[in-house]
Amino acid sequence: MKIIKLKSWQMFAVFALVLLMFGSTYAQKEQWYGAFSYSVSIPTGDTKTFIEEISWRGIGLDYRYLINRTYSIGLFFGWNVLYERSTRTTQTDNGAVTGTSDRTLNAFPIMANIHYYFGKRKSIRPYVGLNAGGYIMNQRFEIGVFAWQDDSWEWGIAPEAGVVIPVERDFGIMLNGKYNYALTGDDVFGTTINHSYWQVNAGFVWEP
Amino acid sequence: MRRISQKMSTRTKLSLVVLFSALTLVLNSCYPGDAITAADTDIVATYFDKDADFATKLTYSIPDQIIRLDENGDPINDPGANDQQILNKIKDKLESAGYDLIANPDSLTNRPDVLVVAFVNQSTWVSGGCYSSWYSWYYPYYGWCYPVYYTYDIGTLLIVMIDPTESRNALWVAAFNGILEDTNAGVLNRINDGIDQAFTQSPYLYK
Repeated sequence: MKIIKLKSWQMFAVFALVLLMFGSTYAQKEQWYGAFSYSVSIPTGDTKTFIEEISWRGIGLDYRYLINRTYSIGLFFGWNVLYERSTRTTQTDNGAVTGTSDRTLNAFPIMANIHYYFGKRKSIRPYVGLNAGGYIMNQRFEIGVFAWQDDSWEWGIAPEAGVVIPVERDFGIMLNGKYNYALTGDDVFGTTINHSYWQVNAGFVWEP
Repeated sequence: MRRISQKMSTRTKLSLVVLFSALTLVLNSCYPGDAITAADTDIVATYFDKDADFATKLTYSIPDQIIRLDENGDPINDPGANDQQILNKIKDKLESAGYDLIANPDSLTNRPDVLVVAFVNQSTWVSGGCYSSWYSWYYPYYGWCYPVYYTYDIGTLLIVMIDPTESRNALWVAAFNGILEDTNAGVLNRINDGIDQAFTQSPYLYK
């Protein structure tokens, strides 16, 4: 049984780097802004076949550059942990398997994006956007004393809609929803699938 | 105005760091499952031949002992404490599924439609992996990783239903696998639950 524990220090380092970017650019260029959000994930499609439960573990970091009054380009980093302990019976083509299984998906979206903002600067601004890039997908399925794991990079897109609500001069709230869809991928047994999940994010924006 | 903005920046960045740190702690468990008991390791797997017509199988015979296999798959003469209870449980379930026992089969007039045989195998399972974590800074094992190994004594019960008149694969197989770190009564209860589940997930056996 192969057990690989994800290197959480590596993710910490990535997020810390992004935080430094937030801090260093804020004072220099106000057309840059960032957002930090809490993220809830709702699995759909092939992901729901693997894990049915909603995930309450997730974070996201946005870093956006306003190229004019209505468009921004930027980067998004996220981490969603989907998990389910299941005792359901899995039907196969000519049989069935029952047991306590632990199903885990760590999805790390890393995407470039473009957003279009409605309304005026410093007002409530709904927006739509498209994220494109990929996901580091770490999947693990354990049943009995057996375990299967698949770690891979998958290409994907994530259409997004949300709203930025200014609170103070350089501080606001951001709410958004994304539909994450991996264009490539396999399950832990090697069957071709496309992971997908809704992501509902609520967070803070600096210099909106 | 600029000063106010800078003060806010410090405050908001501070809140960002606090939030980020808190959520990182929440997220730190990439594989968040709780500890499992020995019973949680139990698996019941069933297989059936899609060409089999179970409706025509009305009688069965079963050897009066469970065949034990060593780690190489060879039969050994080492009866287990629970063998008779397991055989009785299998008989109960077969009869509730509509199969009549033929206790003394022969090849002429007293032939069962199916033969049911139970096998048991016990083996030691070695498992392990490579953990990386903050500890890796201090433990100089293989760079970022330190090795962890476990051993389990696991048991497997196989119930196989075959057609004695045909040379073909089994009509039905139920496999029950789990860790044996339990009391004898606990193991027996788990096996009984597993046999119940094997029949529950095989509705095609029932008449």
